[in-house]
Amino acid sequence: MITALLVAIWAGICAIDDIGTQMLRRPLLIAPIVGLMMGDLEAGLYIGATLEVMWMGVGNVGAYSAPDIISGTCIGTALGIASGGTEVAVALAVPTSLLAQQLLILYRSGIVALNPIAERMAETGDFKKIFRINFIPMAIAFLIRAVPTFIAIYFGATVIDTIVAALPANIMGGLNVAGKIIPAVGIGLLMLMMIKKADLWVFLIAGFALAVYLNLSVLAITLISLPLAFLYDLASQSKAVSNSMDDEEGELDL
Amino acid sequence: MENNKITKKDLNRVFWRMQLLNVTNNYESMQAIGFLSSFVPILERLYGDKPKEQKVEAMKRHLKFFNSHVNSDALILGVAAAVEESTTEEEKETVVSVKTGLMGPLAGIGDSVLKFTWLPICGSIGASLALSGNFLGPILMFLLYNIVNVSSKYYGIHMGYEKGISLINGSETNILQRLTNMANIVGLMVVGGLIASSVKMKVALEFGAGENVILLQDLFDKVMPGLLSLLVTVAVYFILKKTNGKHAPLLILGTMIVCILLVTIGVL
Repeated sequence: MITALLVAIWAGICAIDDIGTQMLRRPLLIAPIVGLMMGDLEAGLYIGATLEVMWMGVGNVGAYSAPDIISGTCIGTALGIASGGTEVAVALAVPTSLLAQQLLILYRSGIVALNPIAERMAETGDFKKIFRINFIPMAIAFLIRAVPTFIAIYFGATVIDTIVAALPANIMGGLNVAGKIIPAVGIGLLMLMMIKKADLWVFLIAGFALAVYLNLSVLAITLISLPLAFLYDLASQSKAVSNSMDDEEGELDL
Repeated sequence: MENNKITKKDLNRVFWRMQLLNVTNNYESMQAIGFLSSFVPILERLYGDKPKEQKVEAMKRHLKFFNSHVNSDALILGVAAAVEESTTEEEKETVVSVKTGLMGPLAGIGDSVLKFTWLPICGSIGASLALSGNFLGPILMFLLYNIVNVSSKYYGIHMGYEKGISLINGSETNILQRLTNMANIVGLMVVGGLIASSVKMKVALEFGAGENVILLQDLFDKVMPGLLSLLVTVAVYFILKKTNGKHAPLLILGTMIVCILLVTIGVL
């Protein structure tokens, strides 16, 4: 009961951070705290890292709302630890994040009602008033994350436990394998945003090669990529300069 | 008119207020209310002694549709402050057009530098530590990400105010564009490395019988280690590209179902 309440409050805090300061909002930063509350920091770390990699490219882009990482992580981690398995956490985190996303969309459509209120505040010409408009949506955001999290953890734990115990081995094994392939979706999303020109593929392949042949870590690859990025920039700059010089010569010919 | 000059303190107040900028983000005016509520310290400075109609006008001006990336908003708040300060009451249309002109391109830069490059780098460094049970993983990720996250907001406001309009028509946009391109390349190499370290796929199929069993996985490994990871990721990429990235959650659920099926028949 108290753990469920604690995790729910943590989910609410993360929800306010998500729309405000945006300093947490990732599985690896949320799950270890849930683990701590559930009394198993190590499992929290492991589940957080797995979800972090899995949801690498998932996040809000523009007006499009992404699956709700916060509820998914909190509920998935808590119930995963309760029924003893990262596979359970991964399997639960995905559907819960999708369900919670609907609440989030509802929230964003609901607070459209704030627009006329803001208009009326503007009519008064009182600058001080407008900041107060933030407090109601913050409370709503807290509740739409905290309440479902509490319900899911408080009532879900025993249900999930029985379901997990009844599941055949091949389903758990399949989920285990899926957990290691699903990161491809997040990575695919990142690629979708970053590959704007076909010749950029070479950099992706180079990074992959550094990792598989030389076993380099992400930090090492980042450091190696810096001079390459710098050279690429220099090359495209000089191209732009020579292009403009060509233009000038063209004008002289006229 | 001395007291109508925007001070560093005003800009710092904007910084604190903009921490809540995204709270009122809604489907109709997006970040408009948040922009106004963050921008109020500037308006208080510039309109403190002006008649009420002008105050109302100023507030309404900043309630028009606005949407960008939260970290890019800082720069736009700064530029808008500079433009508000340097324009007369008749020229205020400029403020709105500057804001709408900046929000699109800057949102793209915020996304590609922070969300698609820096965040995955921090996340994967933290995750690789955490997977080995090291609790420093999340702490390191938190520090690495937020040093950039918070300072980009703080310096964004101040830089935006100092550079003002020159940020739009000067060579500065070119620099931002180049920064995006460079971030793109670093990001892509990191993503390439991530494919190798986080996507793991092993085939359990084997051929032959008795002593001469050939594991299919060994053949793949001989061609190139991690070949299957690369192939799966590229396949997912093309599926996402076809659907414009809209069905990522369905794809995740689909992967789970396919994996359960393949494990059941013994392929994976």
